[in-house]
Amino acid sequence: MSSRDQTDEKLERLVSQVLRDQPLRQAPSSLEARVLGELAARARLPWWRRGVASWPAAVRVPVVAGCAICVPLVWVLSLWLAARLVTVARSRMAGPLATLRHTGHALASFGAITSHIVQSIPREWLVGGIIATVTLYAVLSALVAVGYALLYPRPGPDPAIPRLT
Amino acid sequence: MRAYQDMVFSTAVRLTANPAQAEDISQEVFLRAYQSFENLRSSPKVGGWLKTVATNLTLNHLTRHRKRWRLFSEVFSDDSREEDVASAAAVLDTALTELEADERRARVEQALERLPDHQRIPLVLYHYEEMPYQDIADRLGISLAKVKTDILRGRVAMAGLLAQGGVGAPDDRRRYSSTTRGTPS
Repeated sequence: MSSRDQTDEKLERLVSQVLRDQPLRQAPSSLEARVLGELAARARLPWWRRGVASWPAAVRVPVVAGCAICVPLVWVLSLWLAARLVTVARSRMAGPLATLRHTGHALASFGAITSHIVQSIPREWLVGGIIATVTLYAVLSALVAVGYALLYPRPGPDPAIPRLT
Repeated sequence: MRAYQDMVFSTAVRLTANPAQAEDISQEVFLRAYQSFENLRSSPKVGGWLKTVATNLTLNHLTRHRKRWRLFSEVFSDDSREEDVASAAAVLDTALTELEADERRARVEQALERLPDHQRIPLVLYHYEEMPYQDIADRLGISLAKVKTDILRGRVAMAGLLAQGGVGAPDDRRRYSSTTRGTPS
């Protein structure tokens, strides 16, 4: 065992001894009154505001039985309702869905025609067109920057602020 | 309740270092005990049950602030040197014996309260609740190495706080002021 381990062990032993020799901390005198007050406040609550476990048996049994019947009933009812809603939605949406389908076909046809046209253009023309567009865009940006620098009036120095020199 | 209230309150206050929070937690412990009164009234293990519930409720309470002390635990690295540990042992070995019981009790409780959360909580769980290192690591969600480091640093810092309170020699006080520096209070 290294000297570090020995000193660690000694410190642990001493701290253990110091802490375990400590008596219990005295609880505040208000603690008992608080607990009893809270219990009294809970006891004053009407039975329906407490947990189901503390309800009277005469109430608890019918409620549990009712829940046992209601839960599957609500489940079956919601399934039937969902099926009914799907049927109604399908019949209502038949017209718009057909329109949407025709629009899709029209767009697909337009895409096919556009693709055919693009493929019929020589590659050199396409590359040249792209280069020309980028060049024109850059020239236009440069012109705007120069025009802004030349034409935009700059405010003079604020007379209220004294110059450092 | 009177027989156990000091034990429950001590468990909570040593972990939280906050008497008001400890009183709230103690109240909750006894309310739960009253809910299980039928099972507990004849059980010989009622003290253990109350202590376990008090520890669990306190740790649940502290977990809400866990990010803060976990962060500090990871930011401050283990810089406790061998001579710090040796000096801490010397302080605890000699200085506390000179004090009266009441003063000694008060000083140790104050030192414990002043430790940062990330050192005090594992230290209390280890020394008071007698939890093994691995259980503390699992319960607090930190690594085993970090638990060991925090407990060791907590012991050194506690000795330092006792020394700062006028117990230890001047050299020890100077050394511990560097050991505990930067720890959140």
